[in-house]
Order: sequence, then C-alpha cells, then structure tokens
Amino acid sequence: MRVKFSYLKEQFSHPEPILKAIRALVRSGDFTIGKPLQEFEKKFAKVIKTRFAVGVGSGTDALFLSLKALGIGVGDEVITMPNTFIATVGAIVASGAKPVFVDCNEEYLINPSLIEAAITKKTKAIMPVHYAGHPADMKKIMAIARKYNLRVIEDSCQAVAATTDGRAIGSIGDTGGFSLHPLKNINVWADGGVITTNSKEIYDKLILLRNHGMTNRDEYEIFGYNSRLDTIQAVVGNHLIKDVEKITKQRIANARIYDQELSKLTAITIPPRRKNARYVYHLYIIQAKNRDQLLAYLNKNGIEAKVHYPIPLHLQNCAQYLGYRIGDFPVAEKQAKNIITLPVHQHLTKQQICYVVDAIKAFYRLHK
Amino acid sequence: MKVPYVNLKLPDSTLRKEIFKALTKVFEKGDFILGQEVQKLEKQFAEYCGTKYAVGVNSGTDALFLAMKALRIGRGHEVITTPNTFLATASAIIAVGAKPVFVDVREDMNINPDLIEEKITKKTKAIIPVHLAGKPADMKPIMAIAKKHNLYVIEDAAQSVGAEYRSKKIGSFGIVNCFSLHPLKTLNASGDGGLITTNDDSIYRHLLEIRNIGLKNRSESDYWGHNSRLDSLQAAIVNVKLKYLNQWIQQRRENAAYYQKHLSDIVFCPQENNQEKSAYHLFVIQTPERDKLQSYLIKNDIETKIHYPVPIHLQACSKELGYAKGDFPVAEKQSQTILSLPIHQALNRSQLDYVIEKTLKFF
Repeated sequence: MRVKFSYLKEQFSHPEPILKAIRALVRSGDFTIGKPLQEFEKKFAKVIKTRFAVGVGSGTDALFLSLKALGIGVGDEVITMPNTFIATVGAIVASGAKPVFVDCNEEYLINPSLIEAAITKKTKAIMPVHYAGHPADMKKIMAIARKYNLRVIEDSCQAVAATTDGRAIGSIGDTGGFSLHPLKNINVWADGGVITTNSKEIYDKLILLRNHGMTNRDEYEIFGYNSRLDTIQAVVGNHLIKDVEKITKQRIANARIYDQELSKLTAITIPPRRKNARYVYHLYIIQAKNRDQLLAYLNKNGIEAKVHYPIPLHLQNCAQYLGYRIGDFPVAEKQAKNIITLPVHQHLTKQQICYVVDAIKAFYRLHK
Repeated sequence: MKVPYVNLKLPDSTLRKEIFKALTKVFEKGDFILGQEVQKLEKQFAEYCGTKYAVGVNSGTDALFLAMKALRIGRGHEVITTPNTFLATASAIIAVGAKPVFVDVREDMNINPDLIEEKITKKTKAIIPVHLAGKPADMKPIMAIAKKHNLYVIEDAAQSVGAEYRSKKIGSFGIVNCFSLHPLKTLNASGDGGLITTNDDSIYRHLLEIRNIGLKNRSESDYWGHNSRLDSLQAAIVNVKLKYLNQWIQQRRENAAYYQKHLSDIVFCPQENNQEKSAYHLFVIQTPERDKLQSYLIKNDIETKIHYPVPIHLQACSKELGYAKGDFPVAEKQSQTILSLPIHQALNRSQLDYVIEKTLKFF
C-alpha cells in the first residue's frame, strides 16, 4: 500500500468546475487584483472572522508585509521560535529586523513563560507560530504583548480554521499571516498568501504595500512591493474555501485515530492537547524513539513520512551571525532529533491510516 | 471605430487552445511549485536572450530586487537609474535598503550616459539602465563607465523583451538582467511573473536559493531568502506564448513604422538608430499639445496612456530622497509631452489608419 504525503492528485478527481472558471478568467483578462480576488478576500475574512483579508504573493510575503505595515525594520527585534519553517524567520530578516528566538514547549509551540526574558528595548513584536496547525497559547502571549506594548503577528501559515479559547487563529494579534501553498489545508495551485486584520489602518497600509505603494495609476504615496495574490489563484481559492470545515474535520478525525492508537506505544510521545484549542493538523507530528530508523522503515513500506525539520533554524548556516549555539534551545534541539510527521491529509482512507499505525507497531516489535 | 489601448482578452484561436491544453497538463500533474514548465521556460528564455541562465521569479519588481540581493547590494549603497521609469525600478532599490540616485534622460527617454559619471560616489554599486518602452538604452558607453568605475550593470528590461542593441539581445549585457511577465507586457503571463538572466554561475546558483526562501535543500539553508517563484501555471502560459514572440514584435515594429511614416512630420515619434532594434512595447510620441490631443482621441474612442505623468523624484514617496522640481529637466518636460499610442500586435490596419487620421485631424 502507498500512503502519500501530498494529496494534490486526489484534489483533481473533479477539477472541471475549477478549470472552467480558470478558462473563463483567462478569456476575460481580469488578471491583476481582479474581481475573483476581492470575492476571495471577503470569504477568507469571514472564515477567520476578521474585518479584512488581503491576498498577497505567498505566506512568506504575508508575514513580511505585516512587519512592514507595522513599521518594523532595521534596528528592531522580533521574537519567534527556532523550530519553524525557515520562511517565518526569512520574513523577519527580509524586513531588516533581527530575529530573537525563544524555545518551544512540548506542543512544538513558543513557550510563553520564556518570552519575557527575551524582551529588550529593541523588541517590537512577537511572532508566535501556530506550528503544524497547533494554536499557540494566545491568551498568555497577548498579555505579555500588552504589558510590554509589543505588536503581535500570528504566523498562521499552517493553521487556517484553528481556534484557541473560542477565537479564530489569525484574528487575535495585529495581523495573521496565512499561506495558500499547494500543500496547505486550504490551498491554491501556486504560491499565494493572505493577511487578516481587524485594523482599518493596517489594512489600508497593506493595500498600498502589496501594490507598489500606488494610490492610483499615476500617484505613489510610499515605496512598496509587488506581492499580489494572482486572480487566477483566487478563482481556485474561491472553489476550495467552501470545503474548509469539511477538510478540517477530516484531518482532525484522522489525527484522533493516530492519537488513540499510537498513545498505546511507549516509544511514541504524543504532544499534549489543550482542551480549549482546536488543532487543525496541517502536520501530524509526534516524537519517536529511533526516529531515523522508523522513518526509513516507513518510507520503505510506501509511507511518505517526513521530518519537519531536522535542523532548527538557530543552527543553520544562515543564522550564524545571530550568535546562537547548540544547547541554547534544548527543547527544540531535542525535538529535532525525535520528531516525525505522518501523512494526515483529508484524502486518506481509514485503511491507509490503519496501515500506517500497523507499520509503526510492527517497527517497534522489531526494535524493542 | 474603437481602438483599445490593450487587449487582454483571449479570443478563440490556436493560441487559446494551446494555452488551455498547457494549463490542463499542469493541473493534472499537480506540478505547481518550480515545476517542469518553469525549468522549460528558464531554458528557452535563456536561449532566446543568448545567456547561460534564466531564473523565473514572482514579478519584474522581484527580479530587480533579487538581482541586487544576489550582488549583495543593500544598506549604505547607491544605485543609479532614471526618474522616468515605472516606480518598481526605484522601489526595488529602496527595498534592498539602497538609495536610488537619478540621472536625467535623453530625448529617447533612456538614461543619458554623459550625465552618469558626475553622479558616481564611493557608495555607488550599480547602474540600472532602463530600456524604456522597448527601446534599448545606449549600452556601449554605459558598460564603459561601469567598467571604469568598477560598477555592476543590471539591465531593467521589464519593457524590452526582444529588443536588440548592436545585434545582441537586450538582457545579455549586464551581470544580471531583469524581465517582467506582467499581463500588460509583450510577453505576458495571466498574473504576476518575472525572469532574471545571467551568465554568471555563482550568481545563478545564489538566485536559485534566495528565490526559494534560502533553501539549499529541504533541510539546510546558507542564506535567508525570499519567496519569489514563478508559478508553474504562469510558466506554462508563457512557454506557449514564447513561440509567438518574434512574430508579435515584428507586428509591433510594422505598426510603429506605419505610425512613423504618417506622423513623423507633425509630432515627435520614437526613432531607431542603426545600432538598435526596438521592441516597441510602447509607442510614445511627444507633443506640447499632449493633454488636448489625449482628450480629443478619447472622444473619438481611441484609448491612449501616459508612461508616466509624474516622474518618480516628484512623487510623495520620494520626499526623503531630497530631489526638487528642475533637477531632471528633460524627464520633467517629457512627462508633460509624452503620449503612448496603441501599438499592440492585435491592432488591424484600419484601426491604425483611424488613429493616424484623427491625430492628423487634431493638428
């Protein structure tokens, strides 16, 4: 049996309505910030329950433009964690600011109790990452931000439709940055991203920043960027976003089976699940003994398990200038050696999930 | 009769069938990010320009931004360019953290090489000549100045795919060169897109990493990067169109020649000298009666544009750069006199005749 990590092929079982809409757009020529994009922005804002949503070039750009809209740049510091996808930190560096890392907790999320120690006079913002679709503890993070007058940019790239304490991820901080990359829960068929916000002021700034700073064709208020969600991709998004609840529920159901079955194994550590949070499982990540061997075993048996990610960002060559060392973030470093990601997408069958579970059990029978 | 400035609609045609077929192929494979179509376009485009490499990125703006990033141009540096270009040339310089330093243009609207040297300081790192409207900048003196002062040349060829200077394609002169695939360009995608060309192996490899968030492979990064990848979907569309590009440019050149033949006596028309071949992305005439002519043509259903009515140094965004009115007299005067006539390849002879007839009638 094959258990693939990507589900794009299944998404094309009935592509005709989307293809038809794309062909109509290509015929019409409404390509740059066209009507379908505006429609998509409205729909997305509704899902996240924010006043505004702005379609941009990618999830990376969603974070970068959020920082720029908040006036964060050279000389400023932004707090985040080292066990995220590189784009979180790439966006901070691109803005000109310095990333400051704080270790994570057993949920692979920023540890709120370590944030205050990392705050300096230069700190301008916290960028909590709702990693893997796990919602960060926003109540605690927002309290710290208020106390120190910091901005909060939620890296929600992996967490569409997640909630914490009854509030949608991406609606709690100053902005939320989402990714629509083809492998995301709600995806388009290319790069794409969305920024959510409740602030009219931030929204107005973002509208300028993503489109060259142009107030109209001939007048330029600020120097900006070119980062627009392609209208053609908004067409795809408009079709797929209808299914956001269905997709999310299926992923949660799949993760529940894994949780139940794998918690029986002493070699597997399942992260704690907070009661008042909705995990949307963009990635299903557990910690496993003999991780590398398990990974090889699963791959050999047709299961596309992966590691997100084997080297934390503070230990990458690109981070050398920040001066971190091995041992600075013990939790993240330990997890990097033990974490493994299992396929959890909405198109998996019950049989496929059982096959993965059985393979893991079989592996640990061999490696006691 | 109606003469639209652009025609983005795709009528039923072989081209449309080919594009729909190419799109379906990308969908079926789910090959969306840096897929085969991007690689194919990069190979074909490099061949077209006569360079070793081409790299597909998210926009023409990003092409300029990443080109400067790849050359390590940033804070504390100055980059020389013209003030009469599209804003993105200057904003890419600002985005890397450098300062745009403007130089006035010649009558042909491209940078005046005679005025470059006086603007060079210790901080100057590069010259970005813009091949505005499809017309090549005068690359020979520009390259000589760059060589003398040890500066990089980055061609802004966003409007000039297919143009030639001394029988060499534009986009093959600088160390890194930038193209746009925006829907309004001659070679266009159905959304944002851009291309970078270079002959330099190490710059090429660096560009591949920094457009892809700095990833050397799935787990390792030597540099922080950006997310600026040309979509496979857009590459598939451009791959189809690339086959038609020479034909389209030829059509634009014939349209231009027709305008020149009938209008040169009464308004300033763009001309070619014998060392260049213009791609006529735009056909920009110059006349002191510009505003009146534009309203007259609009009244007669002829759509025209102004590229661009306010030079960058006089925009609100440039306040901090400290320029004032009068700093670039040629560019400023042109901003009052320039008018872009419809020139695209889908115009028919009777539409051209109609534009000429109405223009002559106005004068």
